[in-house]
Amino acid sequence: MFRAGKLSVAVMALLALGGGFLGVSAAAASQPLAQPHAAVTGENYVIGTDTTFAPFEYREDGELTGIDMDLIRDIAANQGFTVEIKSLGFDAALQALQSNQVDGVIAGMSITDERELIFDFSDPYFDSGVQMAVAEDNTEITGYADLVGETVVAKRGSEGETFANSIKDEYGFTVKALADSATMYDDVKAGNSVAVFDDYPVLAYGINQNNGLKSVTEKEQGSSYGFAVNKGQNPELLAAFNTGLAELKDNGEYQTILDTYLEQPAPAMASGFFGLLSDSMPALMKGLGLTLLATGLSILIALVLGVLFGFFKVSESRVLRGIASVYVSIFRGTPLLVQAFFFYFGLPQLTGQSIDVLTAGVLTLSLNAGAYMTEIVRGGIQSVDPGQTEAGRSLGLGYVTTMRRVVLPQAVKIMTPSFINQFVMTLKDTSLLAVIGFAELTYQGQQIYAANFRTGETLLIVAALYFIVINLLTMLSNKLDKRFNK
Amino acid sequence: MSKISVSGLRKSFGSNEVLKGLDVEITEGEVVCVIGPSGSGKSTFLRCLNKLDELSAGTVIVDGFNLSDKTVDLNEVRQHIGMVFQHFNLFPHMTVLQNIMLAPTELKKESKADARATALKLLDRVGLSDKADARPAQLSGGQKQRVAIARSLAVNPDIMLFDEATSALDPEMVGEVLQVIRDLAAEGMTMVVVTHEMGFAREVADRVIFMADGVIVEEGTPAELFGNPQQERTQDFLSKVL
Repeated sequence: MFRAGKLSVAVMALLALGGGFLGVSAAAASQPLAQPHAAVTGENYVIGTDTTFAPFEYREDGELTGIDMDLIRDIAANQGFTVEIKSLGFDAALQALQSNQVDGVIAGMSITDERELIFDFSDPYFDSGVQMAVAEDNTEITGYADLVGETVVAKRGSEGETFANSIKDEYGFTVKALADSATMYDDVKAGNSVAVFDDYPVLAYGINQNNGLKSVTEKEQGSSYGFAVNKGQNPELLAAFNTGLAELKDNGEYQTILDTYLEQPAPAMASGFFGLLSDSMPALMKGLGLTLLATGLSILIALVLGVLFGFFKVSESRVLRGIASVYVSIFRGTPLLVQAFFFYFGLPQLTGQSIDVLTAGVLTLSLNAGAYMTEIVRGGIQSVDPGQTEAGRSLGLGYVTTMRRVVLPQAVKIMTPSFINQFVMTLKDTSLLAVIGFAELTYQGQQIYAANFRTGETLLIVAALYFIVINLLTMLSNKLDKRFNK
Repeated sequence: MSKISVSGLRKSFGSNEVLKGLDVEITEGEVVCVIGPSGSGKSTFLRCLNKLDELSAGTVIVDGFNLSDKTVDLNEVRQHIGMVFQHFNLFPHMTVLQNIMLAPTELKKESKADARATALKLLDRVGLSDKADARPAQLSGGQKQRVAIARSLAVNPDIMLFDEATSALDPEMVGEVLQVIRDLAAEGMTMVVVTHEMGFAREVADRVIFMADGVIVEEGTPAELFGNPQQERTQDFLSKVL
């Protein structure tokens, strides 16, 4: 699989900007985070991987499994070290590797010249190739020649896309790019595209999971997958991987792993909607828990930030007003997604301090929501009639007492509906943290449909969970509002 | 001795000069009514007396406190000066009683029980004993203004400022508020009253000040000012309002 990582380029550009802005030297950015290990024996390595790239990595009953997973675990056992797998997403895993948040990445990654500039690759462990598939009931398309005038779909930045583009003029079809396999297959089933070009192991696995497609061509000669470490980092890990791989090939374990996933994949159990519901519920509940945790923490911190900067905004000090304005304009003036990437990938590169995904997520959401809260607090205070402050002050009450006893009780009443609104927004915004691999509700949903290809039903369940939780919380908030803000 | 001493008072909002050098002396127990067309600077003058508006130039000495002195404790000064506003500015989230008790209790002047007793006494004085537990929203305009006066009196001020206290009231409610102010005058309270009620000014004031365009055009006893105005501007104004 070849993925160009346009995202990585964007993030790197942002980091470069951030680095210049903060005045952090390039030397600081390239400082290693991980401690060097002389030998692998007894060591624990953090390995980044894609969220779902079946059959190389995917979740089965909540456990990460697949060719990559079996391979890295068996090699670790063979070479006497242990691994901690972090399921981050492909782009995120590469970012994490560059910022030394992980020691290595195994994610069905093609060895390319570009990537060899920034990473050190192991010996190839798998030879891939592109294959074309169409909907199961499609009898008209049997080869490239039948594609004239049609639209096909391929994964953005993948080898499939490169291949499709290389032959599209010859056969007269159009190529459309989508982000992941599950949505591509749905696109073909929905008839938006007639065929999909994808990596053959992925396609083979999907077909075996009853994704509603069938392959109609032989696989094209493709690239090789490798395990990667950051350039110049963890050479002993790379060496151990190569040694272990060779030994697994010699003793037949390697072939057993491939056969497990490619030759005799277990046929998927076709369960009904309620089967899917009960199967996915444990993972989704775990995700929902993290969603609520991140929302709760973020809203609390945002409230503190909002009150602090809100008071700055209405203060008489030009400096304090300026600080609050800068804060608000930065966090309201940049997308939440960029902020999330920055805190998770950028900050570690700038500070040399690694950060866990929950911390990065809560930091992002609370700073972002805090900016909106600041405006809510400012608006609330300013919407109280100035005559109220004058009345308080003319009685000889100080600024703080007047605020506390006269202005704030009225302002809070005005602000409460906006607070509830922000709370709901922040809860929904947690779903964006899926991109940095935070295992909240949306992430869990993506994991599930990426493995079972039942996108529509899974998303329906995920949406229903959000809907129920948000409406319950809104009802509760409104009840509290009525009770305390009579 | 002067209770209020104003000299060379100037006040600008941006480039707009609203007060262009005022000199006023007000003695203890004196009731001064300030009249004049809208925009003449009457209200701004009043708001400079307790520094709700900053002074641009000149000095204001109230009850012995020099307001131009940056070190003077304004919260202390303001406890000597009650102020009543055109739009009442009652605290809508509190009952009538809580409105009146807020300042005495927050300023630790009185215990809660004492403040309550004082507040009830003040309510009785303005004729609203039965409204102690009402919310401002349940009161008529005249009742609101009487509560506002009671609230100002709760910190036991030496001076009372009235900023068009009856302008926002329905005509039938003006009388009840003026009666309360009249009673205060009779008790010897030093008062500065910005008003459009010429009859009231004539009846209650010891002295009437006529302001226009940020200056004091003319001042004198009600008999002098209303009976025999010297300045053309005063005559012009009075011919329109009387």
